[in-house]
Amino acid sequence: MAGPVIACEDLHIRLGTGAVAVDVLRGIDLAIAAGESLSLVGPSGSGKSTLLMALAGLERPTAGRIRIAGTDITDLSEDALARLRGEKIGIVFQSFHLIPSMTALENVAVPLELAGAADAFARAQAELEAVGLGERLAHYPAELSGGEQQRVAIARALVPDPAILLADEPSGNLDARNGAMVADLLFRANATRGMTLVLVTHDAALAARAGRSIGLSSGRVVEDAMPSVAVAGR
Amino acid sequence: MIASLPLAVRFARRELRGGLRGFGIFLACIMLGVATIAGVGSVARGMTEGLAREGRAILGGDIAVTLLQREAGPAERAWLAERGRLSVAATMRAIARQADGNGQALVELKAVDDAYPLVGSLDVEGGDAAALLAPADGIPGALAEAELTTRSGIAVGDRFRLGTGTFVLRGIITHEPDRLADGFSLGPRLMIGAEALAATGLVQPGSLVEWRYRLLMPGEPPDSAVEALGEAAGEAFPEGAWRVRTRTDAAPGLKSNIERFAQFLTLIGLTALVVGGVGVANAVSSFLERKRAVIATLKCLGAPAGFPVAVYLVEILVIAAIGIAGGLAIGAMIPFAAGSLLEAVVPVAIGGIYWGELALAALYGLLTALAFALYPLGRARAVSPAALFRDEVAPSRRRPATGYLAAAGIALAALAGLAVGLSHEPRIAAVFVAATAGAFVLLRLVAMGLTSLARHAPRTRSTELRLALGNIHRPGALTPAVVLSLGLGLTLLVALVLIDGNFRRELFGTIPATAPSFFMLDIQGEEADALRAFAAAHAPAAKLEMQPMLRGRITALDGVPADKAEIDPEVRWVLRGDRGITYAAAPPANSPITAGAWWPADYDGPPLVSFGDEVAAGLRLAVGDTVTVNVLGREVTAEIASLREINWQSLSINSVMVFTPGTFRGAPFTSLATLSYPEGGTAEEELAFLKAVVDAFPAVTVIRVKDAIETANGIVEQIGWAVRGASGVTLAASILVLGGAFAAGRRRRTEDAVILKTLGATRGRLVATFALEFLLLGGATAVFGLIAGSLAAWFVLATIMDVPFAFLPGPALGAALAALALTLVFGLAGTWRVLGARAAPYLRNL
Repeated sequence: MAGPVIACEDLHIRLGTGAVAVDVLRGIDLAIAAGESLSLVGPSGSGKSTLLMALAGLERPTAGRIRIAGTDITDLSEDALARLRGEKIGIVFQSFHLIPSMTALENVAVPLELAGAADAFARAQAELEAVGLGERLAHYPAELSGGEQQRVAIARALVPDPAILLADEPSGNLDARNGAMVADLLFRANATRGMTLVLVTHDAALAARAGRSIGLSSGRVVEDAMPSVAVAGR
Repeated sequence: MIASLPLAVRFARRELRGGLRGFGIFLACIMLGVATIAGVGSVARGMTEGLAREGRAILGGDIAVTLLQREAGPAERAWLAERGRLSVAATMRAIARQADGNGQALVELKAVDDAYPLVGSLDVEGGDAAALLAPADGIPGALAEAELTTRSGIAVGDRFRLGTGTFVLRGIITHEPDRLADGFSLGPRLMIGAEALAATGLVQPGSLVEWRYRLLMPGEPPDSAVEALGEAAGEAFPEGAWRVRTRTDAAPGLKSNIERFAQFLTLIGLTALVVGGVGVANAVSSFLERKRAVIATLKCLGAPAGFPVAVYLVEILVIAAIGIAGGLAIGAMIPFAAGSLLEAVVPVAIGGIYWGELALAALYGLLTALAFALYPLGRARAVSPAALFRDEVAPSRRRPATGYLAAAGIALAALAGLAVGLSHEPRIAAVFVAATAGAFVLLRLVAMGLTSLARHAPRTRSTELRLALGNIHRPGALTPAVVLSLGLGLTLLVALVLIDGNFRRELFGTIPATAPSFFMLDIQGEEADALRAFAAAHAPAAKLEMQPMLRGRITALDGVPADKAEIDPEVRWVLRGDRGITYAAAPPANSPITAGAWWPADYDGPPLVSFGDEVAAGLRLAVGDTVTVNVLGREVTAEIASLREINWQSLSINSVMVFTPGTFRGAPFTSLATLSYPEGGTAEEELAFLKAVVDAFPAVTVIRVKDAIETANGIVEQIGWAVRGASGVTLAASILVLGGAFAAGRRRRTEDAVILKTLGATRGRLVATFALEFLLLGGATAVFGLIAGSLAAWFVLATIMDVPFAFLPGPALGAALAALALTLVFGLAGTWRVLGARAAPYLRNL
């Protein structure tokens, strides 16, 4: 049997130094299997976003180890982590973070261009058509609605066919209709493409759609269950 | 993963689609500095190439042989005549005076033969020059520049006296083809025919007359043939003391001055570029600040850390290239635009595209852009992708990686190296570069000091002052940008204002007060006693000093030929041309001995010489060494017996070389005298004496020092305007950078103002807060500028120009107050409008 695609071992993260140091994560042990969908829930300051950043290789552990897709990323260099992200991890942000000077097509093609793919634009176009934006290829982010921008961002995260999809409050800046559309895209990718989905959300309904829910409080895992159980427990 | 340069270029092109918003100041700073350097370099090159191109016309032939105080002998004349067409002209200074003696003027007299001019034409209002010079009714004609009428009242048609001769002014010279080759002149040109010179009685044994023999070779000989003939001329009559000049170096003094002045203006242009570099750094920092999210996003998507830097470096270089191209276009046009203005100084066509100078200016622009952009780019490399999650608001203040600091340092070193290496005087350029670097460092410290003072200032009851102090030290404050940009420009301005002011004070204040009222030249032996008696009778309170005067040329230094000796460049002038030489039994009263000893009054041994100590040091001579001089064809070698301190600014009779009496026994000489009134002469006293002495001694050339200083004033004024123009460029760069710094901070200032208004602050209180902040910043910078500028001026005046320094409060404080006013105006500009706007639209977007 293949090992977990994401594994954290006694993960500690301390931010700041001296009197202002804060232990944001205090001994997280976590194993996520390939193809799982998992929601990270908890109050503000519980360490959800920090854990997500650690899984993306954007935050270095103070102690403990992290393995992503079979690679121990704890001590990798900055450039090695960037390459890993480009190949194995797709990230969707709450604020979309599209590049304003590029069209939708160019935005989606960026990860493939960085990887040197010859068919970057063809694949990017296919991905945009899959999210229903085939008519918006030449539009700039400023010309797109919030929902459209987030769909472009999802297409960009999916285009390199990553093993892992991380989403940080993906519907946080959207209305209910667009939020639901975005959620559908994420869970469809999880179901049809076998991508492991980890999402941070305050939205209980969105969290409930995940196959597993992990609750954090004060940097520790306080709950790890099926979402219906977790919601009922709360 | 492959993230390569072509990909970075592709990404940069996409970024540039958004336009050049935010790079206005960047472009303007680069354009201004590059245009200045390109323009100055192009004009200088145009002038020197013009001098070379028009060398034949400027010199008046292919070769010019000059003899001092004697005409060429038959053999010498024959040698020259065999090699081409020959024209002879005699030049000297003289006094032209109205027939009734009521007006007179010092003139630059030139007696020309029928062959003159060999090249070009002598243009005269009133007819043909040769016809106008010929005698009519037994009186020879004369031609003059219009200035003669202004100074002396002698108009066309009037008779006037020149020495013992009578002439009629028959025409005004509008163009003299070889005027430039004659160098600096104290009076207007007066031209007569060669055959009329004898009648003036001005040419006597020992008179300071130059005989110039111009030779025009047959056909159109190449420069190599001209140079070969020049060398042959130099060797043909080694005892003849021929001064040979060829058309390839027709005006060496002028060429040297053009190059020196251009280098000085280039240094100032470089300062403008470096000041503009601060604007570049600010613009790049602001730009990259706005791109933090994009940089972080690219890193999240798999870009290695160096990739976003490569993208933005390409973008910045493209924008720099646009600025450089704009600057080059402007700079390339300057020779065409300035040609007509500069014709009066150098009458050659200077319009043209000078690719070497343009390339150098482009290189300076590129190095400046790199040097000042690499630091913020290096900081941008460290932007963490985690910033997208944390919504970080404070800009990163981490120092860039060592590689970026090293690269920026290399670019700066290359900039400094070019400036020093290509300079006409590397020592001065090196001092200039070091001073600019030092000013940067000091201003950084001033900014840090201000920030610290503001942070630790005791709490005050005044809300406005408290807010103003907070604005000075909070993260992202404008303090470093304002202090740096304003401080550099102000320091340079104060330095130039004080140098100019002190130089003029010395030239037009101190010197006239202590200098003699008159110099009198060409006093023949038998006239000396008569002149003494005349001065005693007509100016009894005045002091007359007189000494024998010969002219000679230094031909060897301690046995080494002068053209092969290694000497300091600053004293090259001593070996160029003839020098005044004198002899004396007693040491000069105003020139104390600093080494060695003076000879006894009755000394009668081998020739000895007392040398000026600073010049001796430059020539690497000491007591005991020998100097060989050529006087009227005779070489004399003398041992240096002593060194003397010479105060040139006193304008009293000073000679670099004073020989023992008897050294030049038998050589014809004239005397040189000065007349000094005890309190400095009044205009009435001086003009009365001038009229009387010119009438009594028509062959003596009398120079009124105040008139000479006025002529010098005209030249200094012209140079002063050029220097002020160049410093104005630096000031313009400072203003641009200051404006850019304030514009970059306007958004935050606007947000602060809106929030404070919401909390109850009135417009008046907000204006007072901002005004206090700008006054504190501007005031501190002005104090630094005054101190640093004064120190720089003192250094230049004391060590380079040898002029006493005095702090001139008027000009210096005026410059500082202007800087303060600028800070206020730029700082408050735009804020006033915002203060009057309604808060809601801003609050919605905060």
